[in-house]
Amino acid sequence: MFEELLEDIAQKNGLREINTYLKLTAGLGAILLCLLSTSYKPPLFIALVLTGAILFLARVDAKTYAELFIVPLWFAVMSVAGIILISGGQEVFWSWDLLPSFSLSITRESINQGIFVFCRVIGGMSSMCFIALTTPMTDIFIVFRQCRVPEVVIDLMMIIYRTIFILMDQVTQIYHAQVMRLGYSTWHESMNSFASLCGAAFIASWDAGEDLIRAMDARCYDGKFALLGETRPVERMSCLAVMLFLSLSTAVVIVSGNSTII
Amino acid sequence: MSSIILEARDIRYHYPRGMEAICGISFHLRKKEKIALVGPNGAGKSTLLMMFNGMIRPDSGIVLFDNEPIQYDTASLRMVRKRVGFVLQNPDRQIIAPTVYQDVAFGPTNLGYTEKEVKRVVTLALRHVGLDGFERRPPHHLSGGEKKRVAIAGVLAMDPDVLVLDEPTSGLDPSGSEDIMELLDELNHEGKTIIISTHDVELAYPWADRAILMLGGKILQEDIPEVAFGNPEYVRRAHLSLPTLLELHMELQKRGFLLQGKKPRTVLDMMHCFETTLKKTCCHARPGAITICNVDRDNRELLLLWCSTHPSLSTGAMGTRAKQRAENEQISLDFTYGVIDKCILKALLGEDSLILTTESMVNRVYQRVDTYGRESGICIPIKQLEDGTQPVTENIGSVK
Repeated sequence: MFEELLEDIAQKNGLREINTYLKLTAGLGAILLCLLSTSYKPPLFIALVLTGAILFLARVDAKTYAELFIVPLWFAVMSVAGIILISGGQEVFWSWDLLPSFSLSITRESINQGIFVFCRVIGGMSSMCFIALTTPMTDIFIVFRQCRVPEVVIDLMMIIYRTIFILMDQVTQIYHAQVMRLGYSTWHESMNSFASLCGAAFIASWDAGEDLIRAMDARCYDGKFALLGETRPVERMSCLAVMLFLSLSTAVVIVSGNSTII
Repeated sequence: MSSIILEARDIRYHYPRGMEAICGISFHLRKKEKIALVGPNGAGKSTLLMMFNGMIRPDSGIVLFDNEPIQYDTASLRMVRKRVGFVLQNPDRQIIAPTVYQDVAFGPTNLGYTEKEVKRVVTLALRHVGLDGFERRPPHHLSGGEKKRVAIAGVLAMDPDVLVLDEPTSGLDPSGSEDIMELLDELNHEGKTIIISTHDVELAYPWADRAILMLGGKILQEDIPEVAFGNPEYVRRAHLSLPTLLELHMELQKRGFLLQGKKPRTVLDMMHCFETTLKKTCCHARPGAITICNVDRDNRELLLLWCSTHPSLSTGAMGTRAKQRAENEQISLDFTYGVIDKCILKALLGEDSLILTTESMVNRVYQRVDTYGRESGICIPIKQLEDGTQPVTENIGSVK
């Protein structure tokens, strides 16, 4: 449980030292292009390039990355199956009249639509993963401040961020203590244990809150939170790479037009 | 004797639900003193420490800082908290920001320093505790010892006069504890007054200038460590254990060995006791030399040359930067704690040794060796690496 968090990977990834704005531009730009494209090809292209970047440049473990993909991929497969069966079209390959007024059918259009949605999901997912795995929250806070997000919001986010890890640690410890004493052996037992875990976590967070106030007071808290104000410099190579990636993707969007798989 | 910086006058404190935590404590802390507060769990150590920076207000009695009673309005409290830095026992509770830099910068920012100044003090504080390069790391990726150092740096960045540490070595491995104690020694040498609470008698005994035994919210005994820990009855009542050296000394005395001189605080003192009692020097005819390498100076080549020409000799490092330097140069260290004493012991065996240390601690080596020389009559030559092989003190090897 909670062995490795996305954030931990992000803190250690190979692209950590690249300027945050560049990484965000690449990731958000890719998502935008996925949404703009009208063909299944550009999202696939984006997914391929970004997956390559995640695996080879950021040096994220392939297994971890694959595991990250499994849950949303499962969702995507289910919904795409739904889309293919339900949405209609002219060139029918297969159909089944389930009820008088409702039939399931597979048509050329529905397959095209399904594949298109599926590719979009993959493209968007890999873009999101690219941001999540290469840009730790601590760097994003700096971007937030530079984007004039209200200080109170940022301060709150930072405190929550810090507290999450402390609480997570405590919850893991309590969980282990419960497992060691067979707390999750039966269904009934699991319900009980889970309830007491939640209760303990609540009390722990309450305590942590009080301690936080005390710790801040002891260091003259005056409503200010320091921020590491520097982002990494924009390097020419990485800047060129991002520009090349985005323009290539745009080109693919334009060239592929409305092309469909069948 | 230097002036008093913190003083408690007959303070008492009740917990909200009635239990009395502090029942009438008076004591004082002089500038540049190192004090260890020892006692069992629940003796009121933490509560007492929390009063020094106004986190807890005593029910009666007063706490004076710099001979002024602490006022409990916001502005005065800020002033006190700037000058009395408090390091909590659990660094996870103390570290509040998402990165090391931000956490260390927390105090200075709230004191209204400019951004440039904040950066300067943070860099300085991190270098002090040996964590340069950790700025962007999140605290949950640090080890226990590193977290402790971040917590100390966070307080150091506010440049307090007094450092109050609640159980600074709890939860650390022995070498981590020794490192922290040495860091505290280094800070003390730079003029900070330090008060710690601890259960670790072995660490506190050689370290402290004064030890205070607490029990049930009262002070049981307050004296130099040899005396404070020297009373088995009090030590037992305070749920502590006798420091091994003291116990050995006492047992030897009971068996009729007339050990002269003061009670031993270090192995070196013990050796000295033996030698004077047995009227026989176990010392080598000609003591070895101690070479000092000041890591704040540019002497990398000399150091590497020394290490390659003396591969089998013992090396010790004193101070955080010296240890870092040794790590960078891949010099394996034989001593990291109580370095001077260990090098003197080596010298008495006729072996040479090298001490890596920082500018501020060089004098400390001279002082310690000098003191030992006066007590024992053995002059141990000290060389500085900058001077090549020429010894600074010329009085080599005059064994009495």
